[in-house]
Amino acid sequence: MTTRQAGARPPAWRDVRVLRWVFQLVVFAAVAAVVYWLIDNYRNNTASSGIPTNFEFLTGPSSFDIPGSDFDQNQPVHSAIVVGVLNTIRISVVGVILATALGTLIGIGRLSTNWVVNKLSAVYVEVIRNLPLLVIVVFTFLGVVFQVLPRIENAWKPLDLVVVSNRGIGVPWYHGNSGGLLLLLAIFGAFGWWLIARWRRIVSERTGEPPRSGFIGAMFLVLTFIIGWVILGFGVTLPEVDGRQIVGGIRIDPSYFAVLIALVIYTASHIAEIVRGSIQAVPKGQGEAASALALSPFQRMWNVVLPQAMRIAIPPLGNQYLNLIKNSSLGAGFAYIELTSVTQITVGNGSPAVPAFALALAFYVVLSLVTSALVNVVNRRFALVER
Amino acid sequence: MSESIESVFADATQAVGDAIIELEGVDKYFGSFQALKGIDMKVGRQEVVVVIGPSGGGKSTLIRCINRLEKHDRGRVVVDGIELSDDVRNIQEVRRETGMVFQSFNLFPHLSVIDNVTLAPRLVRRMPKSEADALGMQMLERVKIPEQARKYPGQLSGGQQQRVAIARALAMQPKVMLFDEPTSALDPEMIKEVLEVMVELAQGGMTMIVVSHEMGFARAVADRVVFMADGQIVEVGTPEHFFTNPREDRTKLFLSQIL
Amino acid sequence: MTTLTDTRRTLRPRDGALIWLRQNLFRSRLDALLTLVLGAIGLYLMFRFVQFVFVNARWEIIQVNLKLLLVGRWPVVHLLRIAVSVIALAFWGGVFVGLIRARQVRRGTADLDLVGWRRIGDLGRRFGLLIATVLLLLAPTTTAGPRMVAIGLFAAVLLGRVAGSRLGSVPLPTALVRLSTLGLVITPFVVFLYLVDAVPFAKWEGFLFNLTAAGAGIILCFPLGVLLALGRRSKLPLLRSLSVAYIELVRGAPLYVLLLMANVSLEFFVPPWIAPSKPLRAVVTFTLFTAAYVAEIVRGGLQSVPYGQEEAAKALGLSPYRQMTRIVLPQALRNVIPAQIGQFISLFKDTTLAGLALGILDLLAAGQAITQQEAYRGQGLIIESLLFVAFLFWVGSFTMSRESQRLERKLGVGVR
Repeated sequence: MTTRQAGARPPAWRDVRVLRWVFQLVVFAAVAAVVYWLIDNYRNNTASSGIPTNFEFLTGPSSFDIPGSDFDQNQPVHSAIVVGVLNTIRISVVGVILATALGTLIGIGRLSTNWVVNKLSAVYVEVIRNLPLLVIVVFTFLGVVFQVLPRIENAWKPLDLVVVSNRGIGVPWYHGNSGGLLLLLAIFGAFGWWLIARWRRIVSERTGEPPRSGFIGAMFLVLTFIIGWVILGFGVTLPEVDGRQIVGGIRIDPSYFAVLIALVIYTASHIAEIVRGSIQAVPKGQGEAASALALSPFQRMWNVVLPQAMRIAIPPLGNQYLNLIKNSSLGAGFAYIELTSVTQITVGNGSPAVPAFALALAFYVVLSLVTSALVNVVNRRFALVER
Repeated sequence: MSESIESVFADATQAVGDAIIELEGVDKYFGSFQALKGIDMKVGRQEVVVVIGPSGGGKSTLIRCINRLEKHDRGRVVVDGIELSDDVRNIQEVRRETGMVFQSFNLFPHLSVIDNVTLAPRLVRRMPKSEADALGMQMLERVKIPEQARKYPGQLSGGQQQRVAIARALAMQPKVMLFDEPTSALDPEMIKEVLEVMVELAQGGMTMIVVSHEMGFARAVADRVVFMADGQIVEVGTPEHFFTNPREDRTKLFLSQIL
Repeated sequence: MTTLTDTRRTLRPRDGALIWLRQNLFRSRLDALLTLVLGAIGLYLMFRFVQFVFVNARWEIIQVNLKLLLVGRWPVVHLLRIAVSVIALAFWGGVFVGLIRARQVRRGTADLDLVGWRRIGDLGRRFGLLIATVLLLLAPTTTAGPRMVAIGLFAAVLLGRVAGSRLGSVPLPTALVRLSTLGLVITPFVVFLYLVDAVPFAKWEGFLFNLTAAGAGIILCFPLGVLLALGRRSKLPLLRSLSVAYIELVRGAPLYVLLLMANVSLEFFVPPWIAPSKPLRAVVTFTLFTAAYVAEIVRGGLQSVPYGQEEAAKALGLSPYRQMTRIVLPQALRNVIPAQIGQFISLFKDTTLAGLALGILDLLAAGQAITQQEAYRGQGLIIESLLFVAFLFWVGSFTMSRESQRLERKLGVGVR
């Protein structure tokens, strides 16, 4: 009986280890060739038309203004990009908060036993989810802002507290020059809230009465601001119409308003589906066990079902947040000056396109990575302890 | 078993002692399927009733109607003098007085064992944490796993989980305990530890309705055994009667299949 | 001791409608409040909507510009080609569905209990909206042409469906099967060439652009997507890191920015003689972008195939290539069909971005442009126009997403 020698190496063309590396190198070489071809084309094309390929444009003057900020056209391009990134973050953070709130409400609404609530939520989700986001933005921008909102001359002023017009929406706000103190006040209020939550938890553990830390904490925050207003003399200014401008308070830019509302409406429809799916994915027995222990419907939802649904919902929710951040780039099409918009304008002003857009893409990738890292941290906190 | 109790009951409404649970003409439909057909039944204080019967016969539905996990469609269900109606307050009151143990444990996986046990006392009875914790530990000692208090359900064996579930129900200090096939999802070697706890509970004077096929358990502590099939109560008797000479053919057939 | 006599509440006799109202609208005080407030708002919105659509809206702007919205400035002389293509594709689709049905019947997975009127009712529920939309688009036309096309369309679908199920239910020689498979695969490409022959792709506009760009994107990205998915699962480190880098970078980037970038910089990466047109730039971007998402979908599909399948194939002595193409991939791809449809829907909606980023006169851009026409400027007709545009996108996405949910239930994906 003959056996093939196991100890001897097979010839190279039959050796699994060699074959693997050969295959890998072939694929890699093919990819490298394509990439080289692209880069070579890029070099030749830019050289023949004299376009720079470096990032020197960043230090040149931006030569454009950004409405709603102190930025002026003599500042360099890189500070314009910083303003753009901050504006992207501004719309994304607010959008994520509002979309989560609205989406959660509608998602729970879809599970409601109330027929009206149930059907209205279903119609909302089925209609909005199947529309292109851009159609919604065009609608909020051209349809709502420029058709429904009044011109500045006859702006709506409900109770004289808010000014609503198609040149912006003014809401009461602190004086612009006390920004630092305002932040301090907010931090103080939030810290107080945290302390109150801890205190209330201890009281609740000792006496058994419900903590209500959310309510009392929020009261404290409001109180802090009122005290800041009355005693420390932080003025609140009301928005007023002065000629064709809104003065006082804080002005919400119509572009910001339109893009934000569209992002919130659209993302909420997706979040609603995630919330509904996650709640339904919690085993029915969990709710039954809670009911059998005489927990009220609210306690059942808040203490038993939602904590478990959260665990299921976090990864897909994180995806929606990433989508919202990326979708905020649509602001560029509607005069909201965020990262994409700044990039587009500088390229229009003569900055080289490839480096400028590469930089913008890098910022988006970083924003995405940071967001998913945050989501992962939250996800780990909610993960179940398994055997 | 005393001589005064007949070994065969005329029907299920003859409770041993004062009735704490009364069902009168209870019907339950799932769509067009009738799961319960005119159930009349009484359970006395401190009585242990074991419900047996083929699957799909309405046993689980019956006990789930007692704490309103299922809503009965006709008839009356009264627990400790409170009739179950659409009034939320009545439902909550009944649920506070009945503990339930499920086939699949249904422990809350996101809470530790002690938090599972103390959740309801704290939220429903507004008990201070220290008091609730002491009560919870007491209950865990009763089911013989105080050392697992800080663990999470996912870290326990099936038998341990079911014992935690019993402790969780007991922590509300209910007057009645409902068991829905508590040992069906367990591996054979774990059934014993759960049954031991249940036997002690029965001997301690708890009113219990147990849906189970554990004949050893029924023989040891049941005052009455109720045989259900097709949504109806077919036969009621003491365990001795049931296992020595059942009356109905349906019962005989069923017992021959499971014993 | 308590008896039944002193219980606190007795049940009322039950009345069907009352019970329904009580359980679904007025369960508690809060519930009743919600019902009344939201019900009032809902009814008011519905009233305003219906009033607008049927009374106040000036639909003539759509009526006049229907051709512009659907096919842009496509030369009238070549409209016939579109008609022919639509009918050909309808027939092709019918054959496809017929073949699938025949296969289901053969394997016993078809639901045969839907017969006669119930089957028609089921089809009506599934595609009624689509058919109604076609009829709605026809309503404003006055010439016979579009009506003939519509009749041809429905006839072609039915004929194709019948032909497909016949073809699928009789055993055919292998050569013929291969030939017809090839025919099925190349049909969309032939139709495309037939249309490009008349009007270059650079000039495709209107809804036609949205549909073709989405279709082309999803078809072209598929091979790349599968390769990337295999690369990401590969045990070979170089391949894996290349795939991961591509997938993660693309998924971190907004499509709109990529389109803007393609608009101003794609020409730098190709030799000067290529000079890509705007629709081509859009399709290239869609392909490269969607490939990363398809790769993740396919990866999910690959993960859903139990490892035992691969082991069994290995144990049978199949080569690695055969293990993949004969055993693992067929099961994986079957599982990802619903997710693929979802990706197609999202690409279909995203084609509107190309209109804004590249200045292509797609359906949405055309919808905005027509409100600036001399006859309609400054009359606030944007709402009418947007409603029409939104409706077309909505019908397409809604029908597809419902079909994909149906398929998902049928394939039992996620219930395993």
